[in-house]
Amino acid sequence: MTDPLKVLIVEDEALLAMELESLVEEAGHSVVGWATSSAEARSMVESTDADIAFVDIHLTDGPTGVDVAHYIGEKKRSMVVFMTANPKRIPDHFAGAIGVIAKPYTMNGLTSALRYLQEGVRRPPPVSTRPAGFTLSPAFEAVWAPAA
Amino acid sequence: MDWKRTREPADAWHMTDDLHVEHGKGDPFAAAIRATRMSMIITDPRRPDNPIVFANDAFLRLTGYERHEVLGKNCRFLQGPKTDKEAVGQIRTAIEDKADVSVDILNYRKDGSTFWNALYISPVSNDKGEVQFFFASQLDVSDRKRSEHRITADKDRFEKAVKERTAELEAALEAQTTLLHEVDHRVKNNLQMISSLIIMQRRTIKDEATRHSLTTMLERIEALSTVHRRLYQSKDVSRFDVSDFAKDLVTDLLTASGRSGIKPKLELDPIVISAEKATPVALMVNELVTNALKHAFKEGSDGTTAGRIGIKMSQPDGHFNIEVSDDGVGMAEANGDASFGMRLIKSLARQLHADIEWRDAGPGTKVVISMPNEPQQKGLSHD
Ligand SMILES: Cc1cc2nc3c(=O)[nH]c(=O)nc-3n(C[C@H](O)[C@H](O)[C@H](O)COP(=O)(O)O)c2cc1C
Ligand SMILES: Nc1ncnc2c1ncn2[C@@H]1O[C@H](COP(=O)(O)OP(=O)(O)O)[C@@H](O)[C@H]1O
Ligand SMILES: [Mg+2]
Repeated sequence: MTDPLKVLIVEDEALLAMELESLVEEAGHSVVGWATSSAEARSMVESTDADIAFVDIHLTDGPTGVDVAHYIGEKKRSMVVFMTANPKRIPDHFAGAIGVIAKPYTMNGLTSALRYLQEGVRRPPPVSTRPAGFTLSPAFEAVWAPAA
Repeated sequence: MDWKRTREPADAWHMTDDLHVEHGKGDPFAAAIRATRMSMIITDPRRPDNPIVFANDAFLRLTGYERHEVLGKNCRFLQGPKTDKEAVGQIRTAIEDKADVSVDILNYRKDGSTFWNALYISPVSNDKGEVQFFFASQLDVSDRKRSEHRITADKDRFEKAVKERTAELEAALEAQTTLLHEVDHRVKNNLQMISSLIIMQRRTIKDEATRHSLTTMLERIEALSTVHRRLYQSKDVSRFDVSDFAKDLVTDLLTASGRSGIKPKLELDPIVISAEKATPVALMVNELVTNALKHAFKEGSDGTTAGRIGIKMSQPDGHFNIEVSDDGVGMAEANGDASFGMRLIKSLARQLHADIEWRDAGPGTKVVISMPNEPQQKGLSHD
């Protein structure tokens, strides 16, 4: 068995963060922090040792999710997956993120994405099929899912 | 008129004026030039400042001067403060170069009123190529200039109006696009919240039947979520790729069921429907696939279930056909005519003007739906 993931949740909507936390824990992983703004997210990146951060684009201080992803990328602390209802806001280069889970996701879609990401983070490239609603960034597409 | 052939002495025109009619008498050219309605003059470049030596009556009528007032003067007395300096310069250069020139220039009459003069000047040389005279004709083109100005003004006004309107429309479109994105964003977030609420509620429930109800409800909401996720992924938000949707839905439901023994069989031609049909079609397909998953397959003695669920989508003619099939127990024992799932399927079919039929597939069930649909773009269909 591969090690479970330590997850940082960056999401302004309490209900969604709560539910995401439950799903992450049901899948056997742990949540190390929940941030609702970009400032909170930055300080949590410093104080936690998350493997992966789920980052919403729209936070309490505006559309700052992309900045948060940039910041995490510079610190090289953890990997980033965007989680947004507005995937068109993500820049082409994805700010270094692995990809995006488009909202609204299904419960199974999220569970499958967690499994896929666990494989990808712990023992890349992932072996299970990429779940519907999950899109890889061009950079990760080249490494995790090279065209046959 | 071939001026170069003239054999008259250099000051012949001067004499024509000075000596009144005698000298030109019998000369049909001179008579014609005197009488024509076209204003004409001749200047003598060998005299200081190239003065007028002949002017016909039409020139005097046009400018309002007496003959004695113009003879011996350079033509620039016709110019005034509003005359374009560049046009004057153009004439000066042409005269220096002994070349023809044609310009529209603003001139002033004796009474101070202005007119647009379509001026044409050309040098007249003798056999040795020496310039003897300059000949000029003047035409009052004030009317033409006025309408030219009006047209340019109209055009400018029109262009300005078009530019303003375009800017307004672009701003409106941008506002609308922003609004659409905003609404789309909220709809998706709200759908996510609804599913989250159901999932959280379900965790607290012990009763199996109630949990089951909530699961069915979650499946329906998630089918709607999948529609919305897919709807705004395409560039054209009014079209919906139903085959891509079906693939997502079936994969999702199958993995969620955790029954790896049930294999999907997908035969999906790329088919596009209008956005308003997306939700009813999605809900219908969701009901049929979840029914097959729930009711068709019996658990084997080893505790696993094996089987196949097929979805076929095609549009061989004007009708969009959906087939959802399984190789399970069949529906002979079903008495679910009054059940909610069946009623939902039938109502959605009515909304879509679809024919729906349950067939015994021996083994299993095959549900065949056929509904009118708009023609598909060429090159998309597989058949
Ligand atoms: C034959 C002839 C006819 C001319 N007719 C006019 C005329 O009708 N209106 C006008 O403004 N200038 C007319 N000119 C131009 C002026 O006489 C003069 O050449 C012009 O103003 C440029 O010279 P300047 O810069 O010394 O004034 C005519 C010139 C020539 C040679
Ligand atoms: N593919 C199928 N195979 C076998 N039985 C089916 C199938 N689809 C529907 N049924 C039967 O029809 C009944 C009515 O279905 P439905 O109205 O969707 O209610 P529900 O799914 O809540 O039981 C089901 O209870 C089941 O007995
Ligand atoms: Mg049912």
